[in-house]
Formats: sequence, structure tokens, C-alpha cells
Amino acid sequence: MAKLLDKQRYKCALGAMQTVQAITRAIPILHSGPGCAQKLSDGTGSSGYFSPNIFPCTSINEKDVVFGGTKKLETTIENALKVIDADLYVVLTGCIPEIVGDDTGEVVSRFENADKPVIYASTAGFKGNNYIGHEQVIDAIIDQYLERSEEREKGLVNIWADVPYQDLFWLGNIRELEKLLAEIGLTPNTIFGYHRGIDQINNIPKAEFNLLVSPWVSVGNMQKMEKKLGLPWLHLPTLPIGAYETSKFLREVGRFAGVNEEKVESVINEHENYYYYLIERYADLFLENRVINKQFSVVADAQYALGITKFLANDLGLVPAKQFIADDTPKQYREAIAEEFKKLNFNLQAEVVFETDSYKIHEQIKEHDYHGYPLILGSYYEKELTESLKGNYLNIAWPVQDKVVLDDFYAGYTGGIRLIEDIYTVAVQRFN
Amino acid sequence: MSYKIAVTSSDGLQIDETFGSAKSFIIYEVADGIYRKLEERAFREEGTDHDGISVADSCNSSGNCKTGGGCGSGTGGGCGGAGEASEKVELISDCRCVVCKKIGFQIQKQLERKAISAFDVSVSVEEALEKISHYFTRMDNHESLRVQK
Repeated sequence: MAKLLDKQRYKCALGAMQTVQAITRAIPILHSGPGCAQKLSDGTGSSGYFSPNIFPCTSINEKDVVFGGTKKLETTIENALKVIDADLYVVLTGCIPEIVGDDTGEVVSRFENADKPVIYASTAGFKGNNYIGHEQVIDAIIDQYLERSEEREKGLVNIWADVPYQDLFWLGNIRELEKLLAEIGLTPNTIFGYHRGIDQINNIPKAEFNLLVSPWVSVGNMQKMEKKLGLPWLHLPTLPIGAYETSKFLREVGRFAGVNEEKVESVINEHENYYYYLIERYADLFLENRVINKQFSVVADAQYALGITKFLANDLGLVPAKQFIADDTPKQYREAIAEEFKKLNFNLQAEVVFETDSYKIHEQIKEHDYHGYPLILGSYYEKELTESLKGNYLNIAWPVQDKVVLDDFYAGYTGGIRLIEDIYTVAVQRFN
Repeated sequence: MSYKIAVTSSDGLQIDETFGSAKSFIIYEVADGIYRKLEERAFREEGTDHDGISVADSCNSSGNCKTGGGCGSGTGGGCGGAGEASEKVELISDCRCVVCKKIGFQIQKQLERKAISAFDVSVSVEEALEKISHYFTRMDNHESLRVQK
């Protein structure tokens, strides 16, 4: 009997076209059926110089299924190179050409000597979701574009974090992480967002090391870069939100990079002083026990489920109920991630469930006794559910219908304050 | 289950005629994945000129051309695509697909309405029939088209 998945929280691997779109002046060339890009593009924040509506696409049909679509792919790449002024062309394949066996790699290899780099990633939907697709695009850049560099730039660090567009706060978060690293004297290098493009990609091999801030996404990319480019990497599974995790984050990065400890401590000190000044001023709000919920659940990808759970427990002293990771985390990472949920302050531990089916997630939330109304941080799918439970709800994960985010962020000290603002804004509305 | 495939070819070997210029269709029948030639259907173009200047050959020889009609006269046929199906489409309306070198957008729409697939390819008749019958066999038996590399 076929299994149906109720309200999944990710897209197919071809959704990685948004990863390409996040690299300034990089364009995806889609070898897929017509309409794929339309379906996969999010309504907000995806227009601009290149938008999904103008992505070159082979628009393959029945004829290409029967006779193969490689000829069409070749002319599509050829013409994209002629009419679109981009710095990097990334061919992405959908399910159909992968199933019928088009040799995309061979076609792309004919463009080896083109003026601009053309690379490809086989992002067929049956190979995984867009988290995997994101990794495949970065893998393609490593495998087909980057070369090992003898030259190393002192203090240069590549930062890798959330999946662009899938993560609502990707742009703000990565800028905030950059800022934090710069403050302790390092030079951050990232490839996504405003003014980050081919030049930043070219700088990747010159870095001293890679910094990965994610429970599992891009672990494979880091291993690949270590092998091919000789780049060591530091893996920090928790997205630092709020003072506790951010200070820990800075200390760990500082130690790994060999930054003077005093320097790191002085940066931390400055930030913490301001952070706790704010917390202190609003202590009356935080300590008023009828305002905020006794227990909370996060329904999100591993990145946010872990980051927010740690923040709410460690910084705000809230009690975690069950937490739900809905990004279809590959099995080999699950145990280590579940362990992270046990490392909370005040001897707290959070139970975590890896579940992609929203029906099952919602049933478990309904069954749980939150000792009052619940606080649910999740995707738009949780809105109606939380309303029926008379709880407080905040939309922090894809799909997002309830929030507009241009460059807001939850990472770092400032990000923690933003999240407090958002949660308490919802909480106080109940009484006013 | 058997079905028919219409092919346009001047020599019976290569798909070398466009849908519009083809004077006839070679009809193949496919049963259990094996194809065989069934017949050839000539297209009787309607006389567009009573002085006989541009009347099609088949028309002259058979001698039973309909009169009237032609482009824009409202009887179908000709270049119009939005209205009723052209007679050429009617001629192959019992086929599952048509294979020709090129095909116009309007005609394709007309074929679509009759659930006839159009394949515009420049390959040999043999290759086309092999690939199409393979494809339809897989589809009919709900088998994957996945190619194992």
C-alpha cells in the first residue's frame, strides 16, 4: 500500500535552484518539465535580477521522454550562455531526465571551454529533498569548479549555515554570524546573499578552515572540501541563538582559529553586558508567570529545532516538551542530534522525535499535557492546531505564511533578543 | 491491446516530412509491443482552386475531390487551428500518436484534444517505432521508464 505523507515541510531536491539563486549572479539551468520552477519557487523574496520565472528550462515533454532530451539541453545551455549575463551556470536535473537516463554530465562537459563556468548537479526529486539538493549544489561547486590552493589567507574562514530560502532567516543569520567572526578578528567568507558571488566562491580554497553551523546539512560538503581542498573544518551543530550559545560559539571558534582568548572574552563581555541589560529591564515581564507558557514544542528542521530549544531552555528557562524534527534527517546523524537535546542547562533534557508526517506530529502535540496552553514554534501548518489548543504560536519554519522576513535573524546575541521580542509579542497579545 | 501509429515519410525509411507537407500517412499497428505496417492513408486535400492550379495530385488522380472549402471558408481544413479539427487530423484520429519531422502548434493542440501524441523527430522510421512502442508498452503495463546505468 502506498504511503501518503501529510503536509511535508520540504521540497524535492530540485528546490536547490534556490540555493543557486542565493549566490549573486549565479543562475540555474533546469533540465526538467515545464512548471517545476514555478511550483518550487516561494512567493516572497525570490524576485530580482534572476527569478524562477526566467530560469532557462528545457521544458521537456513526452517526446523527450521517448527520444531523450540531451539535444534540447545542449541548445538550452548554449543559448543561456548567449543571452543571460551571469557568472556561474548551474544545470539542475529534475526527475524525468534522470529516470529516462539523459547523460547530463556528458552534455555539460561539452561546455568545459565556455567563457563562463557551467557545472551540474543531479537534483532528481527521488534522490532526496531540498536539503540534500542544497548539498548537491555545493558538492558540484567543489567537484567541478574549485581547485586546491597553495595560498592561504590568514584568518579567512568560510561559514556554512542554513539552506537559503528554505530557512526564512538565512540572509540575516549568515550576516550576523559573519559579524560575530569579524568582531573576534577573523575574516568571514560566505557565498550567499547580497554581494556574495563568484569572487567569494573563488576565495573558498584560500580559507584557513570551514566553519559549519548546522546539525547535519553540509557535513558531507565539509568532508569533501577537507579531502579535495585540504580545508580543516569545525562543526558546531547548534545555531547560536541568545547569549549562552553565542558566547560558547565564539569561544569555540576562537579556540579553533587560535584567536587570543582575551580578545574573545572582551567581545563576549561587551555583548553580554548589553544583552543582560535588556533581559534585566524586562525581567518583570519574564517573571510574570501567567504571561508565558509553561512548556513549548518546536516543529522545524534540525537546525531550528535544536537552536531554539537550547535558547528557550538555557536563556529563558522554559521547559521543553517534545520537539519535532521534520526535515527527514538522514539516519546516520539522528543519534548525535538527539544527544544534543540532552545537553541543556538546569538538568533539563528534551525528547526529540524525527517525524516528517504532520498528521502524526499534530496527534502527538494534542496528546501531550503542556500544563496549560502550549507555546508552539513551527511552520504555518501549526497555526490552526495551536489555535484549537488555545496556545501561542510563532511561524519560524517553512512553509511560512504568517510572517514577512526581509533580513531579520535569530542568530547571535541580537537574534536571541529578536526571538524574545517575537515570542512575547505573541504572548502579550493574549491579554490585550 | 493494439494501437496505431501514423508516420510521415517519403521513402518509408526516414521521418522526413512535416505534418503540413505530408501527402500521406503510413499507418503501423503495434500489438504486444511488436509493430507491423498496416496501410498507407493518402490525404485528400480539398480543391482550393477550381482552375486546377494548386489542386493536389491525389485529388486529380482520384477525381472525387470535394469542392469549396479551403482556408478560412469555415469547413475546417487549411491553416486554421482554433476551430474544428482539420481533415488531416481526422484522417488519423484512430491513431495513438503521429510521428513527423516538424509539426505546428495549432495542429498539436488539435491532436491533444483527441489525445493523440505528436512526436516531431528526425530519425529513422525504425528507431521511432522501436522507441515509441517501448515507451507505450512500459506505460500500459505501469512499468518504470527508469534506465539502469
